[in-house]
Amino acid sequence: MAEKFDNLEEHLEKFIENIRQLGIIVSDFQPSSQAGLNQKLNFMISGLQDVEKCRQQLHEINVPLEVFEYIDQGRNPQLYTKECLERALARNEQVKGKIDTMTKFKSLLISELSKVFPEDMAKYKVMRAEDPPS
Amino acid sequence: MTEMFSTMFGQNEAQGPPGSAALGFGSGKQPQSQASQPGQMPTQIGDEGPILRKPGASNEPFYLLRDLPVGNELTGNSNLITHYNLEHAYNKFCGKKVKEKLSNFLPELPGMIDCPGTQDGSSLRSLIDKPPVCGNSFSPLTGALLTGFRLHTGPLPEQYRLMHIQPPKKKSKHKHKHHRLQDPLPQETPSDSDPKKKKKKRDDDPDRKKKKKDKKKKKNRHSPDHPGLTGSQPNSSSLR
Repeated sequence: MAEKFDNLEEHLEKFIENIRQLGIIVSDFQPSSQAGLNQKLNFMISGLQDVEKCRQQLHEINVPLEVFEYIDQGRNPQLYTKECLERALARNEQVKGKIDTMTKFKSLLISELSKVFPEDMAKYKVMRAEDPPS
Repeated sequence: MTEMFSTMFGQNEAQGPPGSAALGFGSGKQPQSQASQPGQMPTQIGDEGPILRKPGASNEPFYLLRDLPVGNELTGNSNLITHYNLEHAYNKFCGKKVKEKLSNFLPELPGMIDCPGTQDGSSLRSLIDKPPVCGNSFSPLTGALLTGFRLHTGPLPEQYRLMHIQPPKKKSKHKHKHHRLQDPLPQETPSDSDPKKKKKKRDDDPDRKKKKKDKKKKKNRHSPDHPGLTGSQPNSSSLR
């Protein structure tokens, strides 16, 4: 899995470096640079071919669209991961709080009902003990 | 539906009053009669919840007592981050401070990548909204096609020089005030767009105006034509 990403990363780095060198050539062009420019253009096309080949290996990879918003705003995409983890933890704690509260409520309710309806609650406890969760 | 209830309670009519049998509070023999007739389990009405218990003596004095739900092993009661082995990831992203800018994530990428993509049309969102034409294969450029890439000699115009420019470094505020008066205007760079130049000029102009006004006021005070002039002033030659 990591090898597929490494392969793609390598091709992209080469492609970006090629484009950067192309930009340097073009920024102050000389007639003698024409051959180099042509070579860089063909390297660019071969780079795109290599990237397209990598696409087939990565068709199962899904990227959340929210990450694209972070990148478009010039923000670090790791912040998205961080915020996902923080939200998951916060939600986990919230649900745990609800479960704990409901458990306490149940035990309080049973104890209070046992005071008011002792016989019925004894039957209820027997029935619940007989029938485990299905 | 009515046939189901009649088969369940049909044999019980002789035993007790029909009202109590219909409500499910009959004698203890009812479960046996029901067990001897297979295929008469009460079917669930809709899929709203667990299967309703058979109304019978076993549930006395409770009515419509449902079964307890199946207890899942994994609930919000447990720490899901440790369950899914994400502690390392959590410590990595939430324990340390993650830098805000995209250039901190991709330090080797050239150009100004911290600017929003909508400014220069390089947003990923636009790529999703308007996907490029795919399907055609990439073929190398031939000699005839390469003739279109014959460029003029010389440097590019400054407005097109975008590749090698770093974002301007922020100066501290207290230094900025000192350098404002002393240093000449900074050199032009393509990263300094026109609005920034205009802002600098606008910022300078009111200050210049104020200074000019102050100077004028001072001049007017010292001039002989000023009405507020008194004899104590040494420059007033008319009184002498």
